[in-house]
Amino acid sequence: MSAVHRVRLPAGAVVLVEVGHTVEPAETLATRRAAHGGASLPIAARLRRPPDGAAELLTVVPGAQVEAGDPLADDGHGHVVTAPEAAIFLAYDRGDGRALLAPLGETEPIVGHVRGEISSVEPDAIEIRIAGALLTGVGGYGRAVHGALSVAVDDPLDELRAGAIDVGASGRILVGGSRASAETLTRARAMGVAGIVLGGILDKELRDFEATQSRRREVGGIGEDFAIIVLEGYGKVGLDVDLFGWFKRHDGHMASLFGGDARLYVYGADAAPARRTFPRAGDRVVAHRRPYAGVGGRLSRVLEMLHATPAGIPARSGLVRFDDGRSAIVPLANLEATEPLTD
Amino acid sequence: MSASDPRTELAILLDVGSAWAKAGVIGRVRGEWRLIAHAAQPTAWGSAELRRALVDQLDRSGDPRLTGRYEELLASANRIECHTARRVGRLAVVAVSRELSGSAARRAAEAAGWEIVELVTLDDGRTLADRITTLQAVEVDAWLVAGGFDDAASPRAMEAAALVAATRSRGKGPVVWAGTAALADDVVGLFEPGAATAVANPRADARHEAADALREHLRGLRGTVVQEDEAHLASVALPRAVAELARRGGLRVLAVDVGARAAIAALAEADGSVAVRLHASGGLGGVARSPGATSRVARLSGDAGDEAAVADLLETIRARPATLPETTEELAVTQAAARVAMGAITDEMASGSVDILIGSGRAVACAPHPGQAARMLLDGVRPIGVTQLALDPASLLGPLGSLPDDELGEGLTLMSGDLLAPLGTAIVSRGGEPGGPAMRVTAHRPGWPATGPIQVRVGQIQVLPLPPGQTAELTIEPAAGVSLGAARRSPRIQALATGGAVGIILDARGVPISLPRRVDDRRAVIAGWRDALQREMERVA
Repeated sequence: MSAVHRVRLPAGAVVLVEVGHTVEPAETLATRRAAHGGASLPIAARLRRPPDGAAELLTVVPGAQVEAGDPLADDGHGHVVTAPEAAIFLAYDRGDGRALLAPLGETEPIVGHVRGEISSVEPDAIEIRIAGALLTGVGGYGRAVHGALSVAVDDPLDELRAGAIDVGASGRILVGGSRASAETLTRARAMGVAGIVLGGILDKELRDFEATQSRRREVGGIGEDFAIIVLEGYGKVGLDVDLFGWFKRHDGHMASLFGGDARLYVYGADAAPARRTFPRAGDRVVAHRRPYAGVGGRLSRVLEMLHATPAGIPARSGLVRFDDGRSAIVPLANLEATEPLTD
Repeated sequence: MSASDPRTELAILLDVGSAWAKAGVIGRVRGEWRLIAHAAQPTAWGSAELRRALVDQLDRSGDPRLTGRYEELLASANRIECHTARRVGRLAVVAVSRELSGSAARRAAEAAGWEIVELVTLDDGRTLADRITTLQAVEVDAWLVAGGFDDAASPRAMEAAALVAATRSRGKGPVVWAGTAALADDVVGLFEPGAATAVANPRADARHEAADALREHLRGLRGTVVQEDEAHLASVALPRAVAELARRGGLRVLAVDVGARAAIAALAEADGSVAVRLHASGGLGGVARSPGATSRVARLSGDAGDEAAVADLLETIRARPATLPETTEELAVTQAAARVAMGAITDEMASGSVDILIGSGRAVACAPHPGQAARMLLDGVRPIGVTQLALDPASLLGPLGSLPDDELGEGLTLMSGDLLAPLGTAIVSRGGEPGGPAMRVTAHRPGWPATGPIQVRVGQIQVLPLPPGQTAELTIEPAAGVSLGAARRSPRIQALATGGAVGIILDARGVPISLPRRVDDRRAVIAGWRDALQREMERVA
């Protein structure tokens, strides 16, 4: 079982790895020099020229990257304006004769956040083959984190409660259930949890959490070392039973979670239960729309004719016997078949 | 096949959307081409399943002499197909100001079908370093740089171009300069040869916006970048069909297609010219991430739940676009989202009355009740004046629009009986005092006593039944301060109304529609409008 992860490289990055290298999550794959602030540099005054005239003496074009000491303008008579530090030359103002520079900081690492083998290196991206399983979700939050998986609820329909998170969860990626409140997310972050895997989440709570984190980041209180992935849907939506069982089997496995991209790599894992659209009679299924969102069951038969939903939309439908005891006719478009575990 | 076997000619019209595929089978019935089967299903189910659904229908309801042969007949039938772009063009926009050059560039790019991955402006509140870091991180197919007026060479505009020059990897995507004309050569010179192109500045001065040239250039560039057969793209085919309808009828026709991912609006004039807007993320799935849209949907959907519940549902629609609303609350939110999406894409089109307004896309054209479809069209577009409303229920317009020029007109003629489903005629007014008189309408039908005059108050919606295929002469008397769009010399306006599944809709809710602030009042008003559109239908039925 393997998956490929792509690490995008910004313009000007220096690659440090080659195809075939084995890399760890925290390993530096490439380096870059990020811009820090902006600086205004007098050009015309130093050349003792009028602003408009000095524009003709520039030796660099906007967008060019320069090193400390590189000439920016030269009048050909010994007057040279040089870059005081490494920077990007952005613009020259013919009105005041000053140049706008974006100084470049120290070299910064570009980290892949995954463990695997480099499979390709291109100027704008590095690809890493990962031995393990990839799960993709419907949404998420945060950048990249890695840690050991830890199942934190007893039942896939359980809500992940703040009280269930203690210092032992520090550095781990918790597998929650059907929902986590903004309070739970805040506590998880405070306790050093690396990430959370959820079946569902209330969009408003996720947005509220994002907003508080954004404000805290602005004042420098926190970094970007916490991520969330939502696998099934929005609202209170449980994880599918088979998928939850798969997580329990892989409790303790290392994983890398990319919240914003809604991707979760679990190392050394066998394939996660697969999903298939267009279920057939007899399939185990999971429903995706209210009032059965996230609930699993068995598609006992497919109706021959179109059947109108309670909302009045005619659709190809089937009778589902849900695990919670309910039975209902559900549009096939709202169901996914879940393939059984293969062990 | 023996000489006595029945023969038939079939063709499949296929519209493959990003989430749903719709197929119609047309065949000769008593010498006329008619739609004889129609099926829609999630695109992911595949073409074999779609064909099976059509065969099942034909076996049940088609010519019984052909039962058992439909599979073979469909396999050899002509396929007339259009599809949503399989790949969206991704664009980064860098501009001087958010309000002027940035918004003009954004609108032009969205209308040309680009997905804007990042919009950076020099007044966006970010630090210079943040802007550089952001642009270094984006992965796009092309870059658009805009800023500065044409009467001066603004250093800020040059700075915007320099940001792109500094952050774009060499050879990674074409650059379009749509800023100060005098800087064009300087900006083009910042990039490797052939990488950058200059087009006319959409904001040549502070007061005017002229983005046609930019929009057309971006539309062409998108075709180059996504590399798809243009003729079969829904964004090309649907407007072609609408333009032909307008030309043949000498009418002004607006068609709006709200899909799962994208939205298309095509406004065709009587001379056959057509203005097109394509919002790559303007479909139902894009509403969740559109700023302020969640609260608008919550306000419009009446008693479908609070804003938090609406937000969850909109995210579900985004994440699982092929699923269907099961509950009435979910349906109400979906239809409100369709109204918001329609409003967004038609908002920037040339104003003025249209003769026919056509709704396409599953949310609108397949609404469970025609009154719901009519309300989506009326609320989303607000077509001021007298307008025929119609649906494209079988999604035939797109596939027919992909036919070659010499076959398009013939195709529309042959399918005229099944192409559009008339909803009726809407009379939409604006102005007047809330609760005060808006218009008096009298309907004259040949052989029937006159209906009315019916008094319609500002904020009200009323429906007069008029079945499909029937017409009525209307005498409309707008109250003082109330307008139907065009200037009038007489206190009475005569208009012809055509019937449909809803009838004649007298809509005096104004443009734009104003809703009460109090939640309970708002719900009551929305429920009243809903009942007005649906109750009359039931009475006719």
